[in-house]
Formats: sequence, structure tokens, C-alpha cells
Amino acid sequence: MKIINCPINGPRPVSEFFYWGQMRVMPDPVASSDDEWADYVFNCNGAPGVKREWWCHTPSNTWFIIERDTEKDQIVRTYLYGEEE
Amino acid sequence: MTTMLRQSPLAGWKTPDQLVQDQQGTATLWMVDRSLTPRFGCKGPSAGEWLAAQGLPVPAPANSWVEIHNGRIARLGRSEFLIEGSETIVSRLKSSPRADGVYPVLRQDLALALGGQAVRNLFAQTCSVNFAAMGPAAHPVVLTSMVGVGVVVIPEQIQGVPRFLLWADCTYGPYLWKTLLGIAKELGGGRVLAEIPGAQALAHESQP
Amino acid sequence: MSNNHRLPRLPGEWIDRAHSIEFEFEGKHFQGFAGDTISSALWASGQRVLGRSFKYHRPRGIFSLANHDVNGMMQWGQKLNVRADVTLLEMGMQLSAVNTFGGLNKDPAKVLNHLSRFLPVGFYYKAFHGKRLFPRWERVFRTLAGLGKVNLSTPRLLTPKDYAFCAVLIVGAGPSGLAAALAAADQGADVVIVDENAQAGGSGGYQIGGELAKREATEALLVRVIAHPRIRLLTGIYAAGYYTDHWIALVDDKKMTKLRAEAVVIAAGSFEQPAVFRNNDLPGVVLGSAAQRLIYRYAVRPMQRAVVLCANADGYRVALDLIVHGVMVAAIVDLRAHHQPCDAEVELAAKGVEMHTGTCIVEALPTPGCSGVAGARIAAFANGVADAATARDIPCDGIVMSVGWAPAANLLYQAGTHMRYDDLVEQFVPDALPPGVFACGRVNGVYDFKARLLDGERAGSAAAAHVGFGEKRSVSVPVELESSSFPWPIVAHPQGKNFVDFDEDLQLKDFENAVQEGFDNIELLKRFTTNGMGPSQGKHSNMNALRILARLVDKHPREVGTTTARPFFHPVPMALLAGRGFHPVRRTPMHLRHAAMGAYFMSAGDWQRPEYYARQHKDRLECIREEVDMVRHGVGIIDVGTLGKLEIIGPQAAEFLERVYVSRYANLKIGMTRYAVMCDETGVVVDDGVVARLAEDHFYFTTTTSGATAIYRELSRLNTQWQMACGIINHTGAFAAINLAGPQSRKVLARVTTLDLSAAAFPYLAIREGKVAGIPARLMRVGFVGEWGYEIHVPAEDGVALWDALVAAGSPFGIRPFGVEAQRLLRLEKGHVIIGQDTDGLTTPFEAGLGWAVKMDKPFFIGQRSLQIVDKQPQRQRLVGFRLDQAHGGPAPQECHLVIHDGAISGRITSIGWSHILCAYIGLAMVTPELAKPDQTFEIRITDGSLVVARVTPTPFYDPEQRQQKEEA
Repeated sequence: MKIINCPINGPRPVSEFFYWGQMRVMPDPVASSDDEWADYVFNCNGAPGVKREWWCHTPSNTWFIIERDTEKDQIVRTYLYGEEE
Repeated sequence: MTTMLRQSPLAGWKTPDQLVQDQQGTATLWMVDRSLTPRFGCKGPSAGEWLAAQGLPVPAPANSWVEIHNGRIARLGRSEFLIEGSETIVSRLKSSPRADGVYPVLRQDLALALGGQAVRNLFAQTCSVNFAAMGPAAHPVVLTSMVGVGVVVIPEQIQGVPRFLLWADCTYGPYLWKTLLGIAKELGGGRVLAEIPGAQALAHESQP
Repeated sequence: MSNNHRLPRLPGEWIDRAHSIEFEFEGKHFQGFAGDTISSALWASGQRVLGRSFKYHRPRGIFSLANHDVNGMMQWGQKLNVRADVTLLEMGMQLSAVNTFGGLNKDPAKVLNHLSRFLPVGFYYKAFHGKRLFPRWERVFRTLAGLGKVNLSTPRLLTPKDYAFCAVLIVGAGPSGLAAALAAADQGADVVIVDENAQAGGSGGYQIGGELAKREATEALLVRVIAHPRIRLLTGIYAAGYYTDHWIALVDDKKMTKLRAEAVVIAAGSFEQPAVFRNNDLPGVVLGSAAQRLIYRYAVRPMQRAVVLCANADGYRVALDLIVHGVMVAAIVDLRAHHQPCDAEVELAAKGVEMHTGTCIVEALPTPGCSGVAGARIAAFANGVADAATARDIPCDGIVMSVGWAPAANLLYQAGTHMRYDDLVEQFVPDALPPGVFACGRVNGVYDFKARLLDGERAGSAAAAHVGFGEKRSVSVPVELESSSFPWPIVAHPQGKNFVDFDEDLQLKDFENAVQEGFDNIELLKRFTTNGMGPSQGKHSNMNALRILARLVDKHPREVGTTTARPFFHPVPMALLAGRGFHPVRRTPMHLRHAAMGAYFMSAGDWQRPEYYARQHKDRLECIREEVDMVRHGVGIIDVGTLGKLEIIGPQAAEFLERVYVSRYANLKIGMTRYAVMCDETGVVVDDGVVARLAEDHFYFTTTTSGATAIYRELSRLNTQWQMACGIINHTGAFAAINLAGPQSRKVLARVTTLDLSAAAFPYLAIREGKVAGIPARLMRVGFVGEWGYEIHVPAEDGVALWDALVAAGSPFGIRPFGVEAQRLLRLEKGHVIIGQDTDGLTTPFEAGLGWAVKMDKPFFIGQRSLQIVDKQPQRQRLVGFRLDQAHGGPAPQECHLVIHDGAISGRITSIGWSHILCAYIGLAMVTPELAKPDQTFEIRITDGSLVVARVTPTPFYDPEQRQQKEEA
């Protein structure tokens, strides 16, 4: 099974992880129109490409980001939120 | 009377006649329930600092541990700590006033020690981590999953014989115990000891 | 029965003549040796028919002897799918062939062979296109086509699984695999090499060509491999599948090992392919490598008098092997018009063996009983067509075929290798390998023995270097001088029975018919004909099918493509896949106390919870009713330890809670609690609980049992993003929790604590910290079941002590434990909502009657913006309380029964139960707004279709003025 490199715990099999979904930036609720808000809440771009995703290493409750090419299912890199560099 | 109140999660699940002594540590595969060992937990951005201020040596790298008098202090991930030690140290930590950025964690773990020549086979059946590839000198702490349960594992080698310390949420206690003991028995071991074999005991655990 | 086909002792044979084994097959006694497989022992005794084919029930014998066909599929008691060719003989085996009626010899279903005209390809699809006839015939087909009988009382086997690790995995311990292992290990890599056979060496152990010395090179490699400290050699174990990141499932007869490698070398060799001619499935028609395995592994003479059909140097070597071991070779028939004679051929010519070129076998002539070979009819062969006019019969009792190979590339395909068709060797070879995956030997199109060793060295070195051990050696592998595979080993025959897929009884014309009907691409052809879908999964049939299709649609094989090779390489028993079956179970610390008190447990997610406590002479409903009564009139005690328990500490703790819950908490007084509702971003209710304030910057809050893990995880994620000055701790397992409830609960508690329990000091909804029975505890006055009561939280290690103390203290009051079912009824009487039961995946707080908890004027909370939108829309449904008429005597509605109004579905029941104290059925229902008016009646349709009338009733049903929570006057 696939190996994911947790930024804190190192390489582990995918069964130790929980996939939350794609990182999406919440628009300002006050400034958005009802349609803009509904689009943010319900719609997601499913086209393949390199996406940034929230993942959690469940035994240690470590949340981090995976940049993943969803077409080839290849992980570009993993990092803690806010520690891209 | 207060000392009798505390119960291990395995109370009533381990049959008394299973408990034996094994001073020489010759059993192929032995298990000990050390859930009632005094322990303290805390986490947070200032946890490490605070522990240092309490006079404890704090392990620097993530997922590592250092020995302290009568026990050890383990860093779980980056900013959480598990301290096992004498009743004195632990009580002092528990009663210390809370500091900013330090969040106390009540630890009520199922805590086990497993050892013996065949113990690696038990882990080979239940855990996907390659312990053999870890240099014990690095004092690794491993947060992983075994038989469906999140665990903290410290792998060790005592005089050439492998030994593992394991912590898990106490509500999985009887399940984890029964599962590991069943596999241990199949591997020709499964001796349930009252305490870690003499030559290999942790200094502060000479009493149950 | 005597072993009269056994050869004298051969060096390196796999049998142990010192240990003979008695066994039975089809009721007859046989004898073999330890190390024999079932087939080799039967063949040595002269038994030629090992089974009957799937569709036509034709007699079958040894064909590949390599698990590439299932002619010999047997059953031994409860053991199904015993593959005779590769299963070791065991003392006392009692075997029968599957797929026969009344036994192998008398199988009446062989009449199907003569009805084959009426059972063309696509038969099921065509005959039962209209579905009327199928139900009647289904049972017949299942009986006819079944392969074995399952004994439903077979006990479940728990088998272990191991994790294992290595730097380089080599799949296949033949000549190239052994060379690869040594090259990798010499560079420092830790190597595991696996082989599915009982012993290593692969074809190096049986493709001898008459001279045993030819085995020396392989044996020398094997000795070095066994001695090498960095190589683990595992035999009798096969790689069942390749999974992402070099994760390989290794399977032996007892368990599965999940191996993680850092690089993989596939040295799996190739599958020998059959020639297609009429009656090529008769017992006695065998592949060349099968004959060689019989001789060199099991010391069995394959036949007395053979005709060898070949198209490569291997065929001549087989002929030499046969002659050396006492088989008379009547003729060698070479499909090729021109070829370079190999050394073996020269030797055979010198021995005066009759040889033909540009000749094929048109038909295998059966013996009178049709259960063996009587002769071979040969004819001139050019451009893929036989010239019937030149036909000639040669008597023989066995035909050996050596016409070609197909790579055992399954794992390469699974790893994502791109293969290309190589015209030189007439087979597919790896073209683009993924990183970390290597191939060598015959799977890589390399057939010359010396070249295979070099190819193995190249691949092993490259694999080790890939992992970081040493440098990749530059090795030059010579190009093949001839093709070992013939591009068209297929002879048409007007009377058919020239088989392509032996598992599925597919003949040449079945493919012609399929293409004619339009199934003319490889995927469609496979599914319409079922080629490659039998137990061998195309190992001996995919290549020929591909060649046939290419010719029929006038394409080159490279244009036709291959179907997808999926795990598993050989079928894996379900027991090995299931392993031990780890199913985590969570229990509260008081579990054994519940068991001792007669608890009947139920599963709530991972948790075990008492559903009710059984009492002698009382049935379940009575027990539950009594538990409810006790809480209403006396005192009851329930373990609520499964609740999620979280803490949040820090200067921004209150702010955080206000962002994730819909209510306000900044103004919650220290020492008080407040109900909490959580929504998701779409405004749907996802969880509820109680928030308690212990200090300015310290809150203790509960979640539902099933929500605990997910809520803690999500709150952790939110704080990772928001980076607020607070920390969240999950104490769900660390705290035990007990609810002491009932009018007498205060008196009971007073006996074990010195806390001031007066209504003034400890009001409804307050939280206090203090000692109960000497144990430091958090106590909350909560209202879930609607009686004066306390929820007491203590560290898990003190749970049992607390339970014992409360039970003892409550004993003079007749305290009784109550379980989940009683609790659900009690809360229903108060009209309390259970998230996930009375709400679903679309319910908003407004619809659930929880609108009062929503504080829309907060700056932000999750779901707020969506609720603003929803609030503007007309409400679609509303949760209401209802009761049935007191006189209702018939069957009661159940949860999920529908509300019908004016002939339309207007809602559903979410909770319902009999209230003893109110003497009526009460419940909650989600209904359309027009039905949500006080005193409105609606109808519920129950299972038998009848309608039951209900009346909307305000909640709480019981004690609407909360008198039970107030101090007695």
C-alpha cells in the first residue's frame, strides 16, 4: 500500500492516515453573495492536477498538507500547515 | 484505602494464576501489565520549556525519550510529553500550577511491557513498522497503529534481548491484551508476568 | 497402482523414496512418495485421467504441471480447489475430481461434449437474453458448472499475517533470479528471493537436454545464494500481487506475508504455451516443460512413445530428455520451415530420430475410450495452414508440445510497466519500467541460458544501486539468436475441438464466431468468450487468443494489446486474506460490573454498552420497563463513559468554542453548563453535547459517543488552521462517567460526598468539582433523562470504585442499573433529540427544534453563513412530538415508517416508544410544516400497509414544567 511521509512521524502506510479533502480558502462570509457562498460550500473542482490536501496521521493526531498529483496519485511533497518552506 | 481504589484496565481480565515470576527472563515471550505506574502528560507550545523549568531533562528531537531518575520522559511528536517516574515526581507535576501554553493531559493508559526472544515475531504480526531498522541508540518513540488501535511504542534491546514498552487508550485494554496474548501463546510464549523480569526491570518498577 | 512409470533414482529428484504415502483418488488406492505432488504420484501409477473439463466434461490429464492449468482440480473433504499438479501428497488423502457426476470415469455429463454444437460461445447470453427462462435453468447450470461442494459447517480458520522488510525483492529463483540476488547482495543490499516451487532453481533444474551436468551452473548459484548472509531464500511461496510503493503480498500454504521492498526484480520466467490442434486436450498431450518436470523432479516417465511438436531449441532438448530416460521418440515435428539447428538437434539426428520441418500436428488421435492418445496425425504446414492431403498418422501414447512462451509479467503490469511486442522473440517484453522495478530472464525476453545469467546480474545490480547500495554494473546481454516462440502454432480443423483455453473449453471457432458477432477487440473478446477468465486466468490461453484476434482483424499483435493483469497471481484462499480479523472493541472500566449484574451488551460503534440488565423470569421489554420506572420513581445508575469528553484550555478557549458551536459561551458562568449544538459548513447539525466552564480559560465539554473521535480530529484541524491561543485535549477514554438519576439520587449521593448538594449551592445545570467516595470528581446536574440527577466524571482507574460506592450507597433505595434502551425511552419522554436519529444528513437546527440555541448575532460560527441563507427559504420539514391514541391496540409504528398525508409522503417517524408513565405510544417525527401544528393529526403507514393515526403533541411529554429539577417545596 501507498507510503505517505508524515512530516513528524516519517514514512508510514496510508492506512495510518485520514483524508479530509482539498484545501480551500473560505471567502469572507460577510462579503460573499449567497451564490458565492453556496458555491464555496458545495462545489469542488474535480479536474485532475496537483492539489493541496488536508491529511491527518491518526495515531499521533498530526494534521498536515499533502501536495498530490491526483492524476497519477503521486505525492509531490508533504509539510506542516504554515511550514511550506 | 485510596491506594486500593485505582484499577488497571485489565483488572478482572487477567487470571491470577497466570501471574508468575521470571527473574532470569528466560521466557520466550512475556507480557507485563504496568498500567498503574505513575505517569503524567502535558502538551502545548510551552510544554517543553515548562518541564525544563521543573528540573527535568527534556528530549530535544521529536519522537524521542531520555531517562530520568526512576523513569523516562518521552516527547510524543513535537509538543506532547509523557513522563513516567516515581510517585514523587509525578505528584509534583500534577499539582503544579498550570502555565500558559501548557495543557495537562490525564494519562490513564493501558501500559504494557513485552519482551523475550520471540517478541519481534509478535510485532511482525501486528505492526507495520520496521523496528529492526531502528537504531536503539536514537531512543525512538513510535506513534503507530497495532491491531486497529493507536499505540505509542518504545523499542529497546536489553543485553541483546528485545523488549517493547507500549501505551494505548485504556478502553481498548482488554481487547488489546487478549489479542496480543493470543498471538503470543501461538508463538510459543504468552507468559504473563507480575513484573518485568529481574535483570531487565526498570529501576523504579521493582514494586508492582 | 504400482509405480511402473517411475524412473530409477535421479540425482536432485524431489521425491523421498524412503517415505511412501498411501492415498485414495476417486475411491481407488494409490501410492506415492513424500515430495510427490498428487498428479505426479497418479501419473507414476499409470492414472492418466485426472479430471473432467468445465463445459464439455472431457477427460483431462497433466498439461503444464506448473499451476498454469487446472485440469486436475480436486476436493479433499472440506478442502476445495486442490490443484493436483502443485499440491504435495499427504498421508491419508481422499481425493475426488470436481465437476463430475457419479465420478470421473462414468461422468454422464460427458454427453455435453457431443452437444457442443448447441453450446456455442456466448450461449448463456443468447439463450437467456429474455429473462423468463433463466430462473428455472439457473439451478441446473449451477449444479452442472460447479467446481466442488462447500461444506457450510467448515470452521473458520484464523491465520496470521506477517509484515516483512527488505531492500531488494527478487521474484523467481530460477537462473536469472539467482544471479540477480547475488549481484544485489554483493553490493550490500539485504535481499529476499522467493519462488513458488518447493525447491529453487526454476527451469535450470529441468530444462536439461539430456545431460545432467547442464544443471551445474544453476546448482552452483543456488549454493552461493543459500550461503550468502544477506540473502533470505524462501521457497513454496509466491508473490500474489504487486501494490503501490513495492508492497508485495507473499503467500504460502499457511499465511500471507506483507513485504515492503525498496526495489523489486521480477525474474518470474514465462508460461509455456500450447499448440492448438484437434484434441490437443487429451490426457497424454503435455507441454515440454511438464514432461521435463515429471522426469527431473518426480522421476516419472511421461509416456512410452512420444511425438514431439516443436518450434524452438527447447523442443529438441525435451526430445533428448525423453530419449535419455527411456521414452521412444517416434518423430519430431517442427512447425518452422527453416531454422538453425541447435546442438540438441544435431545430436538427435545422429541418433536417427525421424524429423520433419514445416510440419504440424493436425489432430491427436484418441484411444477407443477417448481417455488417452493413440497417435498423432501430422501434415505439411505453411503460412499457418495445414495441407490435409499430406496427412500421415504416427502411433504414440503421448504428444509433447514445445512451441512457445508468454512472459509471466503479471506483477510487472500491476506495477505499471509498459510492455511492447518484440518481433524477434515473438512475445511482449518490458518497454518502460517504473522506478524501482526491474525485470530479467525470460520474462524480459532473454532465453539463452548464459544470457539469462548476465541479464540477472544486470538487473540485480541496478536494483541494489537504486536503493543506494553500490554502483549499477554495466552488463552487456547478447541478443537472442532465434525466437523461442512461434507466432502461429494454431491449426484449424473442420470438426473443431482444437482448444485454446482449457479452463473454459474454448475452441478456435469460438473466437471466430465472437469476432464475427462484433466482439472484435481484446477486452470484448475476453468477456464474450470468457477466455482467460477461468482459474488459470489466461496463463496458457491469453497469448494464443491475442494471436487469433490479430489475424482475424488483420492487425499486428502489438496493435491488439493485452487485457489487464490483476492480483492475485494464483488464487488465494479467503482464510489467508481474512487473517485473524482484528476488530477493535472498546469497553468502559466498569464493563465487568455490568456483566456481573446481568447486562446484555450491544455494540455502539466500537463500544460495548449494556442494552439492558437481564432479570430472572422477565423478558427484555419487562426489564427495560422496570429500569425506566426505577429512574422515574426511585434512583437508577447508568454508565455513560462512552461519551466523548474534550477539554479546551487557554485565553482563546471561549472564543474557539463560540466559533465551532452555534451558541454563546463567553458569557457562561464558571461552574455552569450549557447545551451545545455543532453544525457543519452547510448548516447541518452534526453533533450535540454539554459545555461546562471550570475556569475563565478552561472548559470541559462532551460530544456524542459516535462523534467523539471525528470531532476531536476536526477541532484539531481547525485550530491548526486558526492557530488560536488554546489547546484541545481528548479525554474520552481517560475519564469514566456515571449518571445517577431519579428523585432519590440526591439522597444517595449525599451518602458518599460532603459537597453541598442543596439546590442553592448546586443548581440545575451546574458543574462542581469535589470528592465522591474519596475520588476527585467532576459532577454536573444534567437533564437528559428528565429527573434530578448527576453526571459524575472520574479518572478511568477510579471508575469501578465509584460505581461500587454508588451502588452500595443506593442499595437501601433499591438502586438499579439501567441501560441504553431505558435511557432512550426516558429521554424520549422528555422530547430530547438524538443527533443522527432524529436528525439526518440534511437537518438544520431550525428543523430540529434547536433554533433557540442558534445565536446568529455572533461574529462567526461554522454554519452561520449557510443558516442565514436557509433561514430565508421556506422550511421543508419540522421535528414534532406525537402520540398515538391511548386506545391504540394494534402493532405500533417503528422508526422510519412514513407519514402519509393526502396520498403523499409527508414525513417519517424518527423515534417511537411505549411510555409506561404516560400510558401511550409517544414519538418524534419529521413532518412537512403544514402538519407541524399543535393537535394536528397525521397518518403513519406501517409495514402491513395499514394506517395509524397520530396527534401532534408538544414536548416534553413528561414533566413539561421541569418540576423534577426543582427543589421540593
